[in-house]
Amino acid sequence: MKVLALEDNKELARSIRDFLSLAGYICELAGSVEEAKNKLLTFSYDCILLDIMLPDGNGLDLLEFIKAENIQSGVLIISAKEALDDKVKGLEGGADDYLTKPFHLSELHARLRAIYRRKSLNVSNNNIISYNGISLNTDTFEAFINNQLLDITRKEFELLMYFMVNKNRVLSRQAIAAHLWGDYTDNLANLDFVYQHVKNLRRKISLINGTDYIDTIYGLGYRFKSTETEI
Amino acid sequence: MKLVDKLTLWLVGVVFLVTPISMVISYRSIRDNIHEAEINRLQDVNDKVASQIRAGIPPHKYILDRPIDIKKIGVMPALQTNASSHNFYNPELKRDECRLDVVSYYKINNAVYSISTYNYIARSQLIVQGMMRALLWKMLLIIVGVAVTARFISRYVFSSFEKTLNIIKSFSLRQKEKIVLPPTTTAEFKQLNFFLKKMTDIALEDYSRVKEFSENASHEVQTPLAVIRSKLELLAETSINETQAILMDDMQNAVERLVKINRSLLLLTKLDNFEFEVNESITFCKIAKESIRSFDHWIQLKNINVIQKFDKEVTLQIHPSLAEILVSNLLSNAIRYNVDGGQIILTLTKNAFIVTNTGLPPQIEPELLFRRFKKSNQSADSIGLGLSIVKQICTVNNFKVNYHYGNGLHTLRVDFTEQQPVIKAPEETTEFIFNENTVLA
Repeated sequence: MKVLALEDNKELARSIRDFLSLAGYICELAGSVEEAKNKLLTFSYDCILLDIMLPDGNGLDLLEFIKAENIQSGVLIISAKEALDDKVKGLEGGADDYLTKPFHLSELHARLRAIYRRKSLNVSNNNIISYNGISLNTDTFEAFINNQLLDITRKEFELLMYFMVNKNRVLSRQAIAAHLWGDYTDNLANLDFVYQHVKNLRRKISLINGTDYIDTIYGLGYRFKSTETEI
Repeated sequence: MKLVDKLTLWLVGVVFLVTPISMVISYRSIRDNIHEAEINRLQDVNDKVASQIRAGIPPHKYILDRPIDIKKIGVMPALQTNASSHNFYNPELKRDECRLDVVSYYKINNAVYSISTYNYIARSQLIVQGMMRALLWKMLLIIVGVAVTARFISRYVFSSFEKTLNIIKSFSLRQKEKIVLPPTTTAEFKQLNFFLKKMTDIALEDYSRVKEFSENASHEVQTPLAVIRSKLELLAETSINETQAILMDDMQNAVERLVKINRSLLLLTKLDNFEFEVNESITFCKIAKESIRSFDHWIQLKNINVIQKFDKEVTLQIHPSLAEILVSNLLSNAIRYNVDGGQIILTLTKNAFIVTNTGLPPQIEPELLFRRFKKSNQSADSIGLGLSIVKQICTVNNFKVNYHYGNGLHTLRVDFTEQQPVIKAPEETTEFIFNENTVLA
């Protein structure tokens, strides 16, 4: 996947690029609206990460440019401003999703994947995520291991999908909690539930003799280990 | 007491005080004038008699209808004329009379004559009586006049003041526009308006500056936090040992806390700014059920029995995100402060959403629970903004929220309608009941 990240904070931009490169993506950076416009006119991207507040303009204006130039990339807005009207404006303006800073890179990745899946309509079975005998149907929220239905809850499904999108990445319990329950709950006990959820998921997978790809990384969280990298 | 009434009373008081004095003055001047006129007339009579004597004409007993008394005396007194009046009872008319005697002295042909005459004049008591009657009417007219005109005039004079009051009454620091006070020609009101305007303008400015600061601070913190978070994630991908991993976990927890506090404070700021205005209604029960479902796991973990009593089709005018935050904050509180194997009763009617849960008695004053960063027990798994957010959401949406603890049950009640017809149960009959006719001293 080829991604253009429009983010004026160099540190954050570099983090995004490093993380996405680890996942095997090509990530290019733009620090201003002008730079982004030039790149968009020259190259084509699968996804665009768009910061709203930029030194030389508003990211929302770029959405109009994207529409006007008939650029087919998916757009994920990343903004420090959590203003709801910005969110609504962004989504109405043609963005596919909206993520508020500070986000977890794994969350950003998961959202990018989801946009990418939705955008690539020409690919058949785009609602199926599969890896080595595990397949997830994102429409029906059903998971299969070696064609056997895995009896899991909605949250466990989301957890498994999160793992599979972020293969070989260390997922902190904080990132998982934020992914499953959002940022708004004033509830730090969620971290213990992450442990419970992961435990249950692993138990259910081994119950139908599936391979347990989930590793516990002491002190850090969990990792879905695989040998191949996603393109 | 109203200013008009106060002024009226003072005016009437002054009238009451001044009138007797003015009455004494006018009484005296009336009486003196009457006396003087009469004395002059009688003097004239005496003079005529004297001139008759001078001319050698023997005087009559009456001149100009006045009885005359002529005496010869030895020495000429210092005063040429002497007037005196005295009251006496007239048994024929059966009333008091006042008689004015005027004695004049003349030196005629080397002999000193005292010529005296008298007349009956209006008694001073009569003058007083007449004045009293007039006084009563005068007072009555003044009081009525002052009371009535004061009301009309005050309505006119105070109209700008009333307007100023109304503007101040509805003044809120959150309003964006500065206040505009009605023009007035009264110096005091002008001064008042000037001060009010200056005061509110400064207050508005300061408030918006503070608000802007907190908003900017919260926003500006977001990007560095994102940087820290992302770097920690990338760091986790490198080869690290156990000690480093534990240190990183602590850092991540701290960042998480910061993020949550910042988000919650931002949310509170936004609520303060009324950024969640909605014009459409949402089905509250649906949102409530959804957010309850997301707590299933936690509820199971604590072995809590949840009873839902939901009315169908409860619609409310509230932003969907706020509805969700409201329910999830209330519920997460009910779970967090619950005991293992406890109970939660959720009741939703058209008028209220009530969360009742078992739990240990609260350790702080119930009113403090809604304050920011106040926690019943300082458990580490909450940042202490949940109920402040609940309270703020309720304020913004004109809901009423209150907390109650009794019989081991915590109850948080959100009333959707502003007017709550809460009728207090009659207390034990320890109070005295007064008869309607009882006079309370």
